[in-house]
Amino acid sequence: MNVEQTAVLVAFGLCAFLALAGALGMATTMSMFRSGIFLMASFIGVGGLFILLAADLMGLLQIMMYIGGMLVMILFMVLFMHDPGGSMMAGMPDMMSPIERFFSRGLQPEPEPEPDEKADDDTGSSLKEDAGHDAMNRDEMDHADKAAGHGSHGGMDHAHMDHGSTSCGDMDKMGDMGGMDMDMSMVTPVRPVAAWGAAAIGIGLFALLLLRPDWPVAGQHPNPDSARAVGMMLMHKYMIAFEGAGFLILLGIFGAVFLARTNQHAEAPGRALPVARREDPPPAESGPAPGHEEGKWS
Amino acid sequence: MGIAGKTLLVTLALLAGAWVSGRIERVLMRGEPGAMHQAGTAAVHLGRRDRWLYPIGPAVALAAVLLGAVVMPFGPALVGEDLQIGVFYFIVVIDFAVLGIALSGWGANTGHAVEACYRAVAQLVAYVVPLGMAVVGTIMMAKSLSTTRIVEAQQGVWFIVLQPLGFALYLVTGLMQCYRAPFLEPFADSVVGGVLGVSTGPEALIWRLALSGLLLLVAAMGAVLFLGGWSGPWLPAPLWMALKTLGLMILMLAGGRMVRPLSVARMLGLSWKVLIPLGLANVLLVGGLILLKIGPTG
Repeated sequence: MNVEQTAVLVAFGLCAFLALAGALGMATTMSMFRSGIFLMASFIGVGGLFILLAADLMGLLQIMMYIGGMLVMILFMVLFMHDPGGSMMAGMPDMMSPIERFFSRGLQPEPEPEPDEKADDDTGSSLKEDAGHDAMNRDEMDHADKAAGHGSHGGMDHAHMDHGSTSCGDMDKMGDMGGMDMDMSMVTPVRPVAAWGAAAIGIGLFALLLLRPDWPVAGQHPNPDSARAVGMMLMHKYMIAFEGAGFLILLGIFGAVFLARTNQHAEAPGRALPVARREDPPPAESGPAPGHEEGKWS
Repeated sequence: MGIAGKTLLVTLALLAGAWVSGRIERVLMRGEPGAMHQAGTAAVHLGRRDRWLYPIGPAVALAAVLLGAVVMPFGPALVGEDLQIGVFYFIVVIDFAVLGIALSGWGANTGHAVEACYRAVAQLVAYVVPLGMAVVGTIMMAKSLSTTRIVEAQQGVWFIVLQPLGFALYLVTGLMQCYRAPFLEPFADSVVGGVLGVSTGPEALIWRLALSGLLLLVAAMGAVLFLGGWSGPWLPAPLWMALKTLGLMILMLAGGRMVRPLSVARMLGLSWKVLIPLGLANVLLVGGLILLKIGPTG
């Protein structure tokens, strides 16, 4: 085996490892951001396999699509989802299987509740030298917070915080419900079934690979100028399908823009919100949310 | 020239170019240090970093620059690897820089850095389509994706003469791509320099090298695509290429500083309402020129 073959073998091993480990990490990590990055790594590994098969154009297309596309997808995921950093599950490693714990290593658990931090800051600025007093003060504040959270649950600014800040409010809510609100987490009862099913399918595929003795191998060499060949195919033989796909995507963009537009019709329900926003909003604490009062705001 | 020699050459060219771009920026910004050099003056609260994502970021960004430098021709035979699909490869691997910013920004676990991560991804959405359209014009005329062939196609007349619109588009989108003056939102002062504000020591050095290298490569690719690359009378080929790259860098940095910095939202607006229609017009114009048999023959 000469140097070139060894290099190809090593590259194949690396790309295959990237593809497989990326897929495994994507399915098992608790952080959605990491999940997206793992999926991207997996696809980049597949792109490397394409390049090793002398389909360099396909490989680069794959990498281009999945860097840009996956980054934008991660951005939207982070903006829309409840807990993209996986901090909720990071606080309870007991609920994870070992492989999930491995791929979720280093995730940051949810921060301490807000009042504690505030107390820290206040005392830190005024009583920086007096460490003992600082700690005592913090303890006091902790107790006060617990009393407010579990006892009366009536403090005005505590209730406000529940809805105002996302990360800290959730922790409070979880504490109130006894910490067993697992509907939002990534752990579901069907998880072991899914894992075993995936393992079975993988073993079946490997068995197919091994049990089929004469895997067909094409005799011809790959086209070195594959970009030209692909371009000719797209613009000659498959031109109708290619242009049709472009037209469909254009229609999709129009549809998305149309849906995202503010409805201009006077009686459309979506119009109430922007109109209401232009007036002076009342204090947020009193009464139900302003969107429910149609007559008053439209 | 073996692969080790090529690697050394590419790295040396990149280091020298990054140093030169840093000097130019310092001369231009005399008296009013910009975000790139003044990052991190405000207080940054460092959280616990992600041990996996955060350190990979600068390495991925530097890898993008190094991989992109491979196809940059500095003379008829002075190119790391003359790929058949060189320009496409360049556009693809340069995107890894955005991935690096996203990884480090998220992994740094501070509010400013995460904001910088979002901004970098949104900026990617803004520039990627018009950049492609600016490049497509030159590819159509040169009838090749190889960087050396594109330079050889400009022996008679440079593409800047035939496609001034494409050149202007390339300048604007190139500035977006390398995060310079009007488009430095991911590294702006309002987010305390983004990932630059949270990185120190070797990481900060690698970041600055990668960002300077990004500017160098974008300018060099502009010289290859529109200014005839290494071709020119009297002087040796690499010197011409270096001079053109230098001129383009100065033009981009100085021109960009004449414009008020744009937010990412306005960048997206500019991209969709101005740059993409102009890019389509550019492609149409170039197609018309080719039909009229104006431009390189053969």
